[in-house]
Amino acid sequence: MADFIQLSINGLALGSVYALAAIGFVIVYSATGVVNFASGQFVMLGTFAGVAMLINGGLPWPVGYVGALAAMALFGALFFLVVYLPLRSSPVVTIIIGTVAVGIALQNAAQLTFGSWPFRLQSPFEGMTIEIAGAVITVHAVAVVVGTGILIGLLWLLLHRTTIGIGMRAVAQDVKAARLMGLRVNGLLAFSWVLAALLAGIAGLMLGPMWFADVNMGDPIALKAFAATIIGGFGSLPGAIAGGLFVGLTEVLGASYLSSAYKDLIAFGAMIAFLLVRPQGIFGERIQDRG
Amino acid sequence: MSIRTLLGLVAILVIGGALSLVLSDYSLRLMNLAVVSAVAVIGLNFAFGYSGLISLGHSAFAGLSAYCVAILTTKLGLSPWVAMPVAIIATALSAALIGYPLLRLKGHYLALATLGFNVSFTIVAINWLDLTGGTNGIAGIPHLSVAGYELSDERSFLWFALISLTLVAAAAAAIHRSRHGRAMIAVRDDEIAAAMAGIDVTGVKVAAFTLAGTCAAIAGCLFATHIRFVAPEDFNYAHSITYLAMLIVGGEGSIAGAIIGAVVLTFLPEWLRVLGDAYLLFFGLMMLVILVILPTGIVGLVRRISLKRRSPGDETTNVPARAGAHS
Amino acid sequence: MTILHTKAISKRYGGLQALSEVNMTVNAGEFLAVIGPNGAGKSTLLNVLTGLTMPTEGKIWLDGKDVTRWATHARIRSGLGRTFQHGRLFERLSAVENVMTGAAVRKGRSEKELQEFAMSILHRMGLSGVARHQISSMSYGQRRMVELCRTLACEPRVLLLDEPAAGLNSGEVELLMERLTALRAEHQLAVVLIEHNMGMVMRLAERIVVLNFGCMIAEGTPAEVQTNPAVLAAYLGEGYSHADV
Repeated sequence: MADFIQLSINGLALGSVYALAAIGFVIVYSATGVVNFASGQFVMLGTFAGVAMLINGGLPWPVGYVGALAAMALFGALFFLVVYLPLRSSPVVTIIIGTVAVGIALQNAAQLTFGSWPFRLQSPFEGMTIEIAGAVITVHAVAVVVGTGILIGLLWLLLHRTTIGIGMRAVAQDVKAARLMGLRVNGLLAFSWVLAALLAGIAGLMLGPMWFADVNMGDPIALKAFAATIIGGFGSLPGAIAGGLFVGLTEVLGASYLSSAYKDLIAFGAMIAFLLVRPQGIFGERIQDRG
Repeated sequence: MSIRTLLGLVAILVIGGALSLVLSDYSLRLMNLAVVSAVAVIGLNFAFGYSGLISLGHSAFAGLSAYCVAILTTKLGLSPWVAMPVAIIATALSAALIGYPLLRLKGHYLALATLGFNVSFTIVAINWLDLTGGTNGIAGIPHLSVAGYELSDERSFLWFALISLTLVAAAAAAIHRSRHGRAMIAVRDDEIAAAMAGIDVTGVKVAAFTLAGTCAAIAGCLFATHIRFVAPEDFNYAHSITYLAMLIVGGEGSIAGAIIGAVVLTFLPEWLRVLGDAYLLFFGLMMLVILVILPTGIVGLVRRISLKRRSPGDETTNVPARAGAHS
Repeated sequence: MTILHTKAISKRYGGLQALSEVNMTVNAGEFLAVIGPNGAGKSTLLNVLTGLTMPTEGKIWLDGKDVTRWATHARIRSGLGRTFQHGRLFERLSAVENVMTGAAVRKGRSEKELQEFAMSILHRMGLSGVARHQISSMSYGQRRMVELCRTLACEPRVLLLDEPAAGLNSGEVELLMERLTALRAEHQLAVVLIEHNMGMVMRLAERIVVLNFGCMIAEGTPAEVQTNPAVLAAYLGEGYSHADV
């Protein structure tokens, strides 16, 4: 039982990271229609922004975190200008290949900067544990789960209670109508990229102390985020959250109770099963192919 | 067969044959890899170029076939000439079986489903130790021999690979010009209108996907008998994305484009090696630039230039697909 | 002899009743027009007949066979043909290749036979000059004609035409009517015409079916329909604004 609780919390923490990556992916997809295959590299860059600030820069963590997120926001804006704008009217496939190509470049850039040797990014709660019903749980894992919950609450407020959020939802539904309503569509699209980069940055900072910071960590995260998105429902924010938690939980629990070799097959098997039986996912609406 | 097709096929043999006599052993090895990729990309052209099916699982079919050859030759001691047809047939059947349920999906849904298939294939290849040898892969696949002559060096294998490529390209061109090729193009242009012209849309999609899988299987056979070693990372989803990138860069919807794209993207990283550790950075950025400035690929660019010089309307087929015809 | 026949076809989209118990009969070789105000269910009727949407209730017979659950391509292969309101062509194929896709409905034709057959149809419809052209280089009227040729290449016995005159100039409409008349005389082709151009309907149709709010409100010869008070109320006269409510 103690094992199960410990594994579940760790699974939820990992799932929270996947969920944040998936939310970033979904925000960009709903606003711009872009299927971002570089979204795993976004998370990787978040981790390494943390590495740069905390390890290389030696900054105290509150300052380092703010610095890392500021860098990610800047990166999101840059991505909007350099990748999204040139590719915006291309077919789906071109966008897929284009974002993959940029992902390759980002990964290589990170390797040139940080080397291929992995880093160990420390948590602000390094070494702290608590005990629940005999299970020893790291404070970091609990903080990740709680922090993600708070973030999702804030995101909901942003999307439903602020002008900019409501504008973003309008753009997601109908770009033309939004433009006719006088919304600054390009500004809102740029903001969705910034927001996605910020969320990925937070996911990266959370993930750093759970995994090693490795420049090749992006691809597995992207694949999990895709699986989470499909399982939850393409384009749905609650779906991204549920899907992310599902993928994280099955990965950790599956590795312990079923097979550590085939743990990832559960997530991808579930993804393919959902695509075949319920392609709209758990929360998604009926599929309208935008492609 | 049209004159243009015939010229194209002769060009493959002549250019490839000439290069085989002058290139270094290392470049010959790359040429072999490029020709193997070209066979796979011609297959992908059936699925994506003609029928509009975005497959990010193409490499898994090459892998399925390569592993079949590896297992049949090393574990059962069969001759590669027996193992290869078995591998191709088994892979084609798998493609049909997998395609039938998956092809109800469209656009990025199909892309992610096939991606999931490729990832699952890799996981199984890594972990089914008894059959696949895990990450160690399977070594010791025998050389191919033709009429008692062993294709053990890069040059002789290249000749064999070039002949295979020519045959695959000829078959692909024949299908392209037949009712089946037109049906695939019709399905990509407008599914509803295609059904209204009496075309069985699902059947055409499954057929295109199966043909794609068959070409990938031939590429897998060539890969296995060329490298004589298979491992999971040779067939992971990154290779599927590379195949698609080759098709887009060369020019989708065109057999020449598939071949040109395979050659360019095989050699491009090598040309960029002078940049040292940063070559992938430039490779990624260059790809982005190519996609933005050449949306119809290299073949599309050549056609645009030649169409400007010729009067319009003197061509029946192979006129460029509009950029984003399926979006 | 009946060739196409529906029994109590209904189609609901959520709360909207697009078709309500439509009983329609098309006889071999006859020219039938379906008219009605916008939103009366004419296009839905064509979609149900061709299998693009499944009816909520009711049955469809084609040539004595129950085709209610058949896929579109199977109905086409059994003698149904349809054009679309704005013409839908395969943009990456030339005109003759477009027609050849239709001609391939019949198995066993060689590539040469397909081409000759397609060319003969294009020639009949006065399009042999543009046969090799890309679709994107053609005028709207030519495109619609190519679509009609492609449909004819499937050798239908019932031809469903969805507003074939929309967007054509008066000369093109005149030409279209001549060719339709000639085709029918030659092939014993039944035509179901959906059209807003009343001049065309009254000149060509032998029988008219009137739809309103998904219901068949009248059926008869042009003369009968023109004087039917329900039709006048719904469609032709002052009832138009009334029907829009």
